[in-house]
Amino acid sequence: MRPIAKSLQEYSRGIIGGLLFSLPLLYTMEVWWAGFSAHPLHLIFYVLATFALLLGYNFYAGLRHDANWTEVVIDSVEEMGPGLLISAIALALLGRIGLDMTLSEIVGKVTIEAMTVAIGVSVGTAQLGGANDGSDTGEGDGQPAKTRAAKGDSPNDVHFGGQLVIALCGAVLFAANVAPTEEIVVIGSESSSWNLLAIAIISIMLGAIILFSIDFKRAQSFAPAKGAMAVVIGSVITYAIALTVSAMILWFFGRFDGQALIICIGQTIVLGLAATLGASAGRLLLQAG
Amino acid sequence: MKKNKLEKNWFEWIVFAVGLMLVLATLSYLAYDAATITDAPPSIEVRMGEPLQRPHNFIVPITLINHGDQTADGVLVEVVLESGGEEKERGELTVAFLPRRSTREGWVAFQTDPRTVERTKARVLGYGKP
Repeated sequence: MRPIAKSLQEYSRGIIGGLLFSLPLLYTMEVWWAGFSAHPLHLIFYVLATFALLLGYNFYAGLRHDANWTEVVIDSVEEMGPGLLISAIALALLGRIGLDMTLSEIVGKVTIEAMTVAIGVSVGTAQLGGANDGSDTGEGDGQPAKTRAAKGDSPNDVHFGGQLVIALCGAVLFAANVAPTEEIVVIGSESSSWNLLAIAIISIMLGAIILFSIDFKRAQSFAPAKGAMAVVIGSVITYAIALTVSAMILWFFGRFDGQALIICIGQTIVLGLAATLGASAGRLLLQAG
Repeated sequence: MKKNKLEKNWFEWIVFAVGLMLVLATLSYLAYDAATITDAPPSIEVRMGEPLQRPHNFIVPITLINHGDQTADGVLVEVVLESGGEEKERGELTVAFLPRRSTREGWVAFQTDPRTVERTKARVLGYGKP
């Protein structure tokens, strides 16, 4: 049995993390608008996708060292619940939901904001102060997050699937903050193909540099082999994740509706820069250090 | 598995139960919403309230109700004051978003007292798809 004080501490970390990561989205008009104009089926899909992401994150980088799937599912629900609650309270405080609105508008706005909050709760619970758990509280069961993240074959080599999931989480967390804004459409449609090409190359290079420095510091990368080849493979995978995440988020926010293919690609590449930063550098933050 | 189950205290089970309820309630509502929603485009009803006299002008309260299942973006409403088949004054109101099945309120301002004219007509001019 975990003492109540310890649970409270974990939940507090979760709440802080949830607010910290979702604050930009809570203050973004386009997200509120998406809340009432999105089709309910889209929202269900969004909830399920977030839940899948939470499952993955909790499994590979979550709080419990000895997590089995039951525990991971329970943890994910425990993050989604507060996510919905925090989102509702924040939106009510900001005057974005009120009793004069229809239920569908309220539920839409709360749900759409709650998903980022839930990911933030998850990251916050696992990361904020997680590393000092043992010494901090003196509780025997608080394993440092460091060992939990390293669910690979050896302590220094994080499982490939785990890296993928953490990179996905990082990409979503970073890209989601800018994805719903009008700016992405503006940049995407006003950029020339040369600009877009430059953004893509810079994104890949940034990914490579970050991966290389992580590789240097912590001997962790996407590829089991070390060296230049590993960095190349790692950057390609990172950029692929970044583009996939960007395209999915943009599609979700209806940014592809009625747009020419080149505009869709442009937006994806523009957002891909943020997603690459999240997928590569975000991993440093999300993964216990 | 057994060990993990034992690790949870009553407080965590309560949080889990509340969380599960919230998630299930949200999903069920969304599922219900998805099942009952139609493709019906915005259908906007304009209701006018009693004109009010303000220090500098007269205002007519306007209530917009969207009976359709799609959101209307940038709803433009026109209110015309007519006397003897002749237009006395024209006013406009723009509402940024009118979500499906929702109501939004506003006012249209006039220099002419709307209570002195024969007819006050209000209509929606147009709106976009968000």
